[in-house]
Amino acid sequence: MNHTRRDLLGAVAATALWTTSSRAAPAKTAISVRVDRDFEVLDPAFRSGLQDGNIVRAITQRLIGTGYNGAGLTLDAAERVTQTSPTTIEFVLKPDQMFSDDFGEMTADDVKFSYERFILGQNGKESPYKGEWANLKSVDVTGKYTGTIIMERPRAGLFTIALGDVAGCILSRRAVTERGAEHSTRPVGSGPMMVTSFEKQRQIVLRRNPAWTGTPAGFEQVTVRYVPDPRTTELGLRGTDIDFSALPPQIAEPLRKLPALIVKDQPGIANVWLGMNVEKPPFDDVRVRQAIQLALDVDQMLLAGYNGLAPRAHALIMPQVVGYWPDAPVAKRDVGAARKLMADAGHAAGFQARITVQSQPVYQTMALVARAQLAEIGITIEVDAQDGGSFFSAGKGDTGKTLELFMIRFNGKLDPNFLAQWFTTAQIGTWNWQRWSEPKFDALLDQASTELDDAKRTALMIQAQQLMKDSAAFVWLTYDVSVFAYHSWLTPALLPTGIDWALDRFAPA
Amino acid sequence: MIRLIAVRIGTTLGVVFGAMALLFLLTVLVPGDPASTLLGPEASPEAARRFVIEMGLDQPVPVRFARFVAHLAAGDLGTDVLSGRSVASVVAAVLPYTLVLTAAGMALSIMLGVPLGVYAALHPGSAADHALAGLSVALIAIPNFVIAILLLLVFSVWLDWLPVLGAGDANDMADQARRLILPTVALAVGWIGFLARLVRTAMLEVLAEPYIRTARAYGLPQRTIVLKYALKNALIAPLAVLGLGVGRLLGGAVLIEIVFSRPGLGRLVLDAINARNYPVLQGAVLVVVVLFVLTNLVVDGLYAAIDPRLR
Repeated sequence: MNHTRRDLLGAVAATALWTTSSRAAPAKTAISVRVDRDFEVLDPAFRSGLQDGNIVRAITQRLIGTGYNGAGLTLDAAERVTQTSPTTIEFVLKPDQMFSDDFGEMTADDVKFSYERFILGQNGKESPYKGEWANLKSVDVTGKYTGTIIMERPRAGLFTIALGDVAGCILSRRAVTERGAEHSTRPVGSGPMMVTSFEKQRQIVLRRNPAWTGTPAGFEQVTVRYVPDPRTTELGLRGTDIDFSALPPQIAEPLRKLPALIVKDQPGIANVWLGMNVEKPPFDDVRVRQAIQLALDVDQMLLAGYNGLAPRAHALIMPQVVGYWPDAPVAKRDVGAARKLMADAGHAAGFQARITVQSQPVYQTMALVARAQLAEIGITIEVDAQDGGSFFSAGKGDTGKTLELFMIRFNGKLDPNFLAQWFTTAQIGTWNWQRWSEPKFDALLDQASTELDDAKRTALMIQAQQLMKDSAAFVWLTYDVSVFAYHSWLTPALLPTGIDWALDRFAPA
Repeated sequence: MIRLIAVRIGTTLGVVFGAMALLFLLTVLVPGDPASTLLGPEASPEAARRFVIEMGLDQPVPVRFARFVAHLAAGDLGTDVLSGRSVASVVAAVLPYTLVLTAAGMALSIMLGVPLGVYAALHPGSAADHALAGLSVALIAIPNFVIAILLLLVFSVWLDWLPVLGAGDANDMADQARRLILPTVALAVGWIGFLARLVRTAMLEVLAEPYIRTARAYGLPQRTIVLKYALKNALIAPLAVLGLGVGRLLGGAVLIEIVFSRPGLGRLVLDAINARNYPVLQGAVLVVVVLFVLTNLVVDGLYAAIDPRLR
């Protein structure tokens, strides 16, 4: 093997850099990360929300993992993953991947168990996340480390939604069976970290897994604290109690001035929109809906609600996701045209209506701006602010038939079908609060869900969004913005959604 | 006496029964679907339906209530359907934090409120009395969560003397004690002022009684008159309020628990309401009601100990 002078210089420089960084390594071996929801179930198939999912991701492996801070998919527990046909994916596990607490080596049977329980359920309970493994037929074990994932139909979002995310986390069949319900608070995994303490209403402590042979977690200990109040979180960040947290933009604003803290904004992957119930008069008239669209100044609403930090949305799908519609028309405020539409619809004198929002400052503020703007075309709006428990039932069942206008936020994922699934006819009475039904839209979504070619899928999703636009039932507001505050000695590891984190990859700056 | 005890136990059970019946009624009136809130949007309608059945919410309220009472009689507070854990274990995990905080808050209120009230009564009309009156009213008027935030800003952020949040390391008593200081002060501050005013008024009344005048005429030392004869009688009225105060402190602890991010029954109840997690809500509220009722039973016993006329 020949070595050039450049190789030698490179090696010397790398050694010097390594030595310097080793000497400068901070003494911090433990960090504290804040979450705003309490922990419930540390189980991929039965988790209660993002906070559970982030823990599960740190303590388990997936066949492939989603890279953090902008990186793509990478192999994790698998040595090889090959899509051999639109409906079959073969995998080969790396050997000697050990589950914690002496639950043995990971085998293909554990993969089968972990994935099939999403569709089969467990102990008579159906997984609330069954849809993440939609179209899965079975996982066939072909050897100790090898198996084939068999789908009933092709699934376009399989790698991002299922394999690469929490739904792809691999559990030990033996550990889940033996520990039963206790496994949801004392889970067993084979990932870089392990749960050493689960205290409801307080925190979960993660420590490095001694059996892990891959790149060690960035910190020896990560304490994930449940702190519901953002103001307390702000104080905790100013002190030493919290090292990293997502925060509402308004709370994070004053922290930008502090040199010890970094405040980072990341484009969101959520949908925030104002919806109209197309079955409820007078909103059953498309001219009234169009009038409302023209009367609203979305930029003003966002300025009031998000201090102008959140970028405006023009359609359902955001730029980071397949199916983005770059040429989506941008509605411009035109009160004159809105008044004319109202008159054409027989409402020249206006009418009274109710907008239902969640009782959070951002939505209440935007609703108040909307009220002022709609008053200009004669619509008198009553703002009905409800707590989360009531609000998220407001559009369901028969109650949903009486809903008029509403403002809502849905978390997203990097998959267009995930983002669009709530607007199908089948979702009327559940999450399609607009009660908008368009068979063409349903068919396009169905087609897109099995289309493996990104360009073709994008074309289908643009058509679907065009139909949404034609309905005039939606006023897209923003994809939201994720704002993080953390100490400058820390480098967080954020997954592309921003709301998901790789806690094991948080590292000293 | 046996009849009295039986009546008290009967009343206590009646109060608990009534409170729980009311809670069940309220859970029906409050809008919101637990399946949507707890399972999230991705749950299929079938999973949501099963979840509701598992929670027993498909049954009429009287049936649900009867089941709850029957389980309770068997010592079972129910199961948190979401996590599969028993409600008793969920409540037991946070109960000690609430008990410690409430007890510490009450102790601090008594330790400061009673002496201040006595001092003010012994120096009526003095500058100190006026200052204490003003201070007491101010302490009562300012909501305890405002005090909590101010304390955090001063002692945690500016001075960096005390930690901001949490209840401390479970294996480190010193850490737990340090993290108890600010929440205790925030919780107790209003009650210190209230007790001081109450004790002052009661003491002034007692000090004007003929038997106190007689004691003075006999030449008994002021200390003996105040501590042995006056204060004992003056404490009867504040004691009654203290019984109710425990309930107020348990309720007031919610905000303190949120601001200081401490685990506790109040926060558990609040989270359960927000999530429409009815089994946990019912179990936690039952424990709060029982605690309140038991405290008042103890206070009734203390009356009798202080005032022989009530025995």
